[in-house]
Amino acid sequence: MTTLWDTTGTAVVQALAAARHHTGSVSSGLALTLVAVADGNLVAEAEQAATAAAAQHPCRLLLVVRHALSTPQPRLDAEVSVGGRLGPGEAVMLHMHGRLTLHPESVVLPLLAPDAPVVTWWFGAPPDRIARDPLGTIADRRITDTSRAPDPLAAVRTRAVDYAPGDTDLAWTRITMWRSLCASAFDSLAGEVREVSVSGEASNPSRALLAGWLGSKLGHEVAQEDTAGPGITGVRLVVGDDEVRVARTDGRTAVLQRSAQPDRVMPLPRRQLSELLTEELRRLDPDEVYAEALATATGVSGLEERSPRRTFVWFDPADPGSVA
Amino acid sequence: MTVAVANPLRDPRDRRLPRVPGPCALVVFGVTGDLARKKLIPAVYDLANRGLLPPGFVLLGFARRDWGDGDFEQLAKAAAREGARTEFREEVWHRIAEATKFVPGSFDDDEAFDRLAKELDELASTHGTGGNAAFYLSIPPSTFPVVLEQMRRTGMADNASSGAWRRVVVEKPFGHDLASSQELNRLVDDVFTAPEVFRIDHYLGKETVQNLLALRFANEFFEPIWNRHHIDSVQITMAEDVGIGSRAGFYEGTGAARDVLQNHLLQLLALTAMDEPVDFEAESLRTEKHKVLGAIVLPKDLRSYAVRGQYTQGWLAGRRVPAYLSEEGVAAGSTTETYAAVRLDVDTRRWAGVPFYLRTGKRLPRRVTEIAVVFRRAPHLPFAGSDVSDLGQNQLVVRVQPDEGVTLRFGSKVPGTTMEVRDVAMDFSYGEAFTENSPEAYERLLLDVLIGDASLFPRNEEVEQSWRVVDPIEALWAEGGRPELYRAGEWGPAAAEAMLARDGRVWRRP
Repeated sequence: MTTLWDTTGTAVVQALAAARHHTGSVSSGLALTLVAVADGNLVAEAEQAATAAAAQHPCRLLLVVRHALSTPQPRLDAEVSVGGRLGPGEAVMLHMHGRLTLHPESVVLPLLAPDAPVVTWWFGAPPDRIARDPLGTIADRRITDTSRAPDPLAAVRTRAVDYAPGDTDLAWTRITMWRSLCASAFDSLAGEVREVSVSGEASNPSRALLAGWLGSKLGHEVAQEDTAGPGITGVRLVVGDDEVRVARTDGRTAVLQRSAQPDRVMPLPRRQLSELLTEELRRLDPDEVYAEALATATGVSGLEERSPRRTFVWFDPADPGSVA
Repeated sequence: MTVAVANPLRDPRDRRLPRVPGPCALVVFGVTGDLARKKLIPAVYDLANRGLLPPGFVLLGFARRDWGDGDFEQLAKAAAREGARTEFREEVWHRIAEATKFVPGSFDDDEAFDRLAKELDELASTHGTGGNAAFYLSIPPSTFPVVLEQMRRTGMADNASSGAWRRVVVEKPFGHDLASSQELNRLVDDVFTAPEVFRIDHYLGKETVQNLLALRFANEFFEPIWNRHHIDSVQITMAEDVGIGSRAGFYEGTGAARDVLQNHLLQLLALTAMDEPVDFEAESLRTEKHKVLGAIVLPKDLRSYAVRGQYTQGWLAGRRVPAYLSEEGVAAGSTTETYAAVRLDVDTRRWAGVPFYLRTGKRLPRRVTEIAVVFRRAPHLPFAGSDVSDLGQNQLVVRVQPDEGVTLRFGSKVPGTTMEVRDVAMDFSYGEAFTENSPEAYERLLLDVLIGDASLFPRNEEVEQSWRVVDPIEALWAEGGRPELYRAGEWGPAAAEAMLARDGRVWRRP
């Protein structure tokens, strides 16, 4: 591990090359670069999550930590590790201070693995407009997490307004198992869809997306009921003469009830962040099904027609009037 | 049976949703055996843990034990805890345990099979299996006839009369020669219909083996050189460092050629040499493999090109290990081979004159399975002879296990003021590039059986073709003579080296 204080991007590139050479890991099957973005106050949490993620799926990990913009002198501190504290692969932790936090791509661009896809993941609250973050515009795939926003439901709407193909949200990833269970239940259902409802915590963005998905696929209105949670607590489908209910009250196991059939208990755990990221990184093409679910959940239309490439829009948080 | 209405929630673009089979029961015969405990039950657990089993799934064990459901569940739980690849979670097991049944009985017990048939019918309503069932025959081949006959008698194997699908899974060995495998195939295909018979060759469930197809048919730059104009020879190796353990009873009558060469090595050869299938449907894949297997010819001088070996005592991994003849249960003077190496040729336009060298053995220095494609030398080298003295032949090596991946060997200039070219290796490792841990072969194959996807299972004609290759070798060895000896911990007998030396080649050290 190499630690560099008050350094430059060039020195970091050299340190990474030296570290790779030193550990002998010069062969590279690198499939992607993961850029994890976190704010200074979340650094410990972000580091833990990013390291767990990097341990699950080998990639080049660039952890960009943005400290206070108000620091008068811009400064870069870096830590380079290959097979060390930051997971088994190549990892670079970049602490950025002052005005440098507005130009992180100047450090990140030369550190990307050549011609491999770039995935940017915002650990904390998602940005309002991804185009204003240069780390979002260089990415092929962008992972946000609306559940970490102060108002998650408003954040889901923001994601729809700001959507471009290649965006994805961990609130969507969290419901894959629910969706799989619903799809399995539907394998043996036939007839007209008569009632669909989803229950869960009122502010849970995953509930909104699950309702959006069911609505977009079934072409039927989806009722949403508020419960104490945790997360999503149930789905109810009435199709033809059959009624199927999936209920999960403990956040671990679900009970599947179906008319004229015995109840079945299925494990339906809430998954760890690293598991969610593993699922996200498996495919790197735009998730059209997510776009449809997001559109139905928010009523924003035309999501898929947008360009997958964003153009950077200069924005200075210190001078909000400066929008180009 | 469910009506084939398109499920509105399944969207081909939605690749997050896993492939989950429809409701069904998995019936395991010989559930107390080694394979069931070490591979099958852990695979069922791993599938459940990954959310890949349908709500209406039941695990049904059949064995000759005086047991209730509870006892079987205990054994299964211990097996899952021990063998599972993924983390053991109590709530996942709880869900499997709820849907675990046990039917005691011996194979000649009519009443037990009647009970089993009744149980299967009941599960349709009590557990919502829809009457679908896959029968896994994890039992010695000698007991197949009686079990299959019982299935015929009770109508258990009949898709039509059960109103659902009924499939059967058969493990190797698929017979011990052509005649016996034909007999076995007739028997199984008689009771079940041919498309419902799944023959497991667990090598085909490995990610790297499937990757061989991706490598060859998804890329532009391998296929144009994948022929006799550019390829010199192919070496397929499956080496094990273990001895025969407690399997002497099985191994004595089998030997390396029947145990490994007939199935795993020939399947790997087929995948390496086959032409591009028109699509990736099961039938298209099997058709291409069948064509290649049918084109295999044995060398005229078979005696020089089929080498068998047997290990003697030696040192392996820092320990002294006994000779094959001193293993428990091995007959004195046994001629069973623990090592086999053969040269095969594939008589097609693509492969004419390219030898395929296959070898397998026990007590070799390390456990490794790989396919090495060795290319011809460049037709002209514009370097001085001494500059390229260290340059070997280009190789493409598919590492099947362990450390799954692909290695490419080619010449590169040694830094310095002189032009000196030497071999270097470029590695692609699965673990480095992809996020998901590769599932166990059994997990994949079991899932395929329940879904009904037969692409990774050899068809009976392929099995019979393989015996056509192995039978003459076995016949030659049965004529007399003894296996060549090799020390445990060596890469096989000297005769195997001599076999390649005769062709001006050497074995690659894996």
